[in-house]
Amino acid sequence: MTTDNKSYSNLGLKDFFLKREVMVIIVILALLTFLFASRGVNIILTIFIDFAVFAIITMSLNLETGYTGVPQFGRVAAVIIGAFAVGAIPGRIMAMFMGLPYGVEYASDTVNFRLVPEINQVLAGSWLISLGFLIFSLFIAAICGAAIGWLISRPAIRLKEGYLGISLLAFGDFFMWVGHNWNAMVGGSVPVSVPDPFRIFAGSRFMVIVLVIFVIAFLVFTYLQKLHRSPFGRSLRMIRDNDLSAGAAGKNIVSVRTQSLVIGAALAAVGGGLYVLYVGSAASIGFTKLTFTFWPWAFMMLGGIGSNIGVLLGVFVLVILRTMIVIFRSQWFGFLLQIGIDPLWLEFTLMGAVIIIVILFMPHGLVPEKVEPMLPKSRVRAVMERRRLAKEQGNQS
Amino acid sequence: MLKITNLNSGYGKLQVLYDLSIEAPGKGITVVVGPNGAGKTTLMSSIMGIAKVISGEILFEDVPIEGDLTHNLAKKGISYVPQMGNVFAELAVSDNLNMAGYLMTKEESKIKAEQMLEIFPVLKKFYARSAGTLSGGERRMLAIAMGLMKNPKLMLLDELSTDLAPIIAEKVMKEVARMRDELGITILMVEQMAKRALEIGDTAYLMVSGEVRYAGKADDLLHEPELCSMYLGIKAGSEDAIAEIEKPSTEGSE
Amino acid sequence: MTPWMASGLVYASGLALTAGSITLLFIVTRTFNFAVASMATFGFYVAYTGVALYGGLPYQYYPLVFLFGSFLGIVCYFGLNRHLLRRQAAEITLMMSTLGYDLLLLSFIQMYADYLTHSYGLFPRRVTLNTHDFELFGERAAAIILPVIAIGLLTLLHQFMTKTRFGVAMRATIENPVLAGASGINSDRVYMVSWIIAGGMATLGGAFMAMAMTGTPTMGMFTIPLMFAGAILGGLTSLYGGILGGFMIGMTEYAGVFYLSQQLGPWVLGYRMAIPLILMAATLLLFPRGLAGIPLGKIIEKRFGRKRGESA
Repeated sequence: MTTDNKSYSNLGLKDFFLKREVMVIIVILALLTFLFASRGVNIILTIFIDFAVFAIITMSLNLETGYTGVPQFGRVAAVIIGAFAVGAIPGRIMAMFMGLPYGVEYASDTVNFRLVPEINQVLAGSWLISLGFLIFSLFIAAICGAAIGWLISRPAIRLKEGYLGISLLAFGDFFMWVGHNWNAMVGGSVPVSVPDPFRIFAGSRFMVIVLVIFVIAFLVFTYLQKLHRSPFGRSLRMIRDNDLSAGAAGKNIVSVRTQSLVIGAALAAVGGGLYVLYVGSAASIGFTKLTFTFWPWAFMMLGGIGSNIGVLLGVFVLVILRTMIVIFRSQWFGFLLQIGIDPLWLEFTLMGAVIIIVILFMPHGLVPEKVEPMLPKSRVRAVMERRRLAKEQGNQS
Repeated sequence: MLKITNLNSGYGKLQVLYDLSIEAPGKGITVVVGPNGAGKTTLMSSIMGIAKVISGEILFEDVPIEGDLTHNLAKKGISYVPQMGNVFAELAVSDNLNMAGYLMTKEESKIKAEQMLEIFPVLKKFYARSAGTLSGGERRMLAIAMGLMKNPKLMLLDELSTDLAPIIAEKVMKEVARMRDELGITILMVEQMAKRALEIGDTAYLMVSGEVRYAGKADDLLHEPELCSMYLGIKAGSEDAIAEIEKPSTEGSE
Repeated sequence: MTPWMASGLVYASGLALTAGSITLLFIVTRTFNFAVASMATFGFYVAYTGVALYGGLPYQYYPLVFLFGSFLGIVCYFGLNRHLLRRQAAEITLMMSTLGYDLLLLSFIQMYADYLTHSYGLFPRRVTLNTHDFELFGERAAAIILPVIAIGLLTLLHQFMTKTRFGVAMRATIENPVLAGASGINSDRVYMVSWIIAGGMATLGGAFMAMAMTGTPTMGMFTIPLMFAGAILGGLTSLYGGILGGFMIGMTEYAGVFYLSQQLGPWVLGYRMAIPLILMAATLLLFPRGLAGIPLGKIIEKRFGRKRGESA
């Protein structure tokens, strides 16, 4: 009887959610048109790139936190590892093939700025090498990210809730420091230039980058949606909702959680790698937990923990708002500038306010996670039908 | 004294009690019996503002109290002795009594604590020891003493005799009867060890699966053979039921 | 005292207070308080503002620092924590809410620093507060005064929790909220007082730490993993454990950096924060419940015979 009620209320709510999604999309489009009209096309492209990169990172966070229930407060670690892997490894390999110095000296600022343009020339000459470089970069980022995800999961995975979150935060910071200080790899505090596989497109480079990152973000999205519905995804949700009963049902909690952390870290690392390829240099100062852990958390919470569509919308809304603070800081926040305050700090105010408002007033976010039955829809329908028939027979007799 | 009408309550989305109506008349012992999982502890929690009341009315001295915060109920003169965690294990016995008298002044609470030690001389020995070191029976004594400390008008006792040796359980029950007779306290008790509780009780309710199945005089319930054997695991009216008492009445619930 | 010991003591005292603050709030309200980060930074800025604008020693502004922290704590309790506790929110939700509060505070700190620069011509983004220190018995005064203050505060807190009625009521609520409520203890008030104390401890800890490190608007954000590491090392079950854990984390960092940089060279300095985190990771691997999870009693019973890992 209770299942009947549930499915009916789901149907009713579904329409409501659809409306909410539509509303958010309309707001996004309105803001984009406004920005396009006032600032031109470049700002839209920047927003798109930010959106796509953060969408990948936030979806990876959603896999770990929303699907698996692991409070991942160390997202920045995987992102930074991906970024540095792309900054350090593919360029070195190119340098090796070209007979250039590829050891420690590759990362030193006196050598690096002469090397990278030479590599870039080669890349600009052949689209095959460019494509290979891009794919290899992302591949290496994913591998390194997965390795770090596994490493971080080792001491932490058996811990519970808050304990786990805090440990992940600490380990995230640990790898952040390693990245900031390991001069031999990517120059530590001095940014290392990264060879640019998009150079071959010359004038339309920006557009191509947007397109490529969008395609990758879309692939990640479909992959995660598929994963969500796979048996593995069901185990994840089962463990998230009740690890005790999942354990009793024969799920190996530690191994499933570890897999989720490894996949999540690999995806986040791809995001970091793409970001570095787009910016053209791997500057460790840019990778802070504020940008790559706490912002994704705000995105995810606004969108709705556990719902990927929601996450995408959350990222889009907040990326636009963030950009608007930057663009309109002197126009809108002149009163702050008058007393010497840089309106850029409002970015943190926005982040904090979003988190607090979401928690207090809409704990499930813009697009709440849909409660999906564990069985495929057709099977559910068959079971319901059988029950209905049985009930009718019971009533007749 | 306490009147509950059409109470629906539970925890979060889970409803446990359905349209429950119970009345505990003043200066008497009302016993609520029933098998495991009948929702007896939830009843207590609902009165004390711990479980969520979905609908219905709880009147204490003709004033509605549903939705009140727990500590306000304590101020109104309701004293609650939970089944589990009924003492502060990490605090000394003296501090336990002190905390039970939290709403009085320090002096009042000291005098009251001394009275309690006279009623329960066992506790004197352990006065400075932490409550966690006491045995099960001593803990229950302390719990009752803490309940009495508050000068209650109404006492809610949840499964007082669980985990106690039969002799001690009997002693505790006698104490409860004495509380009614000498101090004039209204008592609402929930019991699984039905027989002994019904013997001292005035009014009785039988709860099954969150609903009231029987309401009436306690003695009468003891003479309802069908209900007794089905839900309480005791032979109604038989004098040789003592042997049955030790057996916890867990069977026969479903 | 060698120089590393002196600054280590100062730093560790500060870290001990912040770790204690985290532990206190966790055992009372189940909240992992992220906002300790920015609270600590605010503590430093209150002391700095006092010294820079009105002169004198940093120490004389500590009462003000504590009060300000209590204020921040009360705001967080009434604005956020109370509603979530009533709603019986999950641990992670509680934690996230304090992260939101922390980010708000962080933006205010940044704006305040801008404001100080603009209106008073100060340079509040890189401050070495220990230049305002004096010498005591041939040592930096901070190395003596701060541990004394920390121990004094702890003693006071211990007295409060064991001797006063409200203190005992707090312990009662921590152990058994239901029974405490049934005894007439207002849990709301207990939570509020713990936020007041924890807020004060956090800001004071930040003011302490700024005597050993460079004060910046992000110093709290930078050191928060260490504060949590201290609390986790302490086991998150008793206030004293948390304070001890924080102190150990602080001292290990200074001692570790000192010896390792002598052995391996100055490059170790960059990884200084890694040292205490490795300590924490090792402890967690051996004892998932922190120092409190070490079966000390059993170890002693077995005549120190079977030591598992470190037994400190």
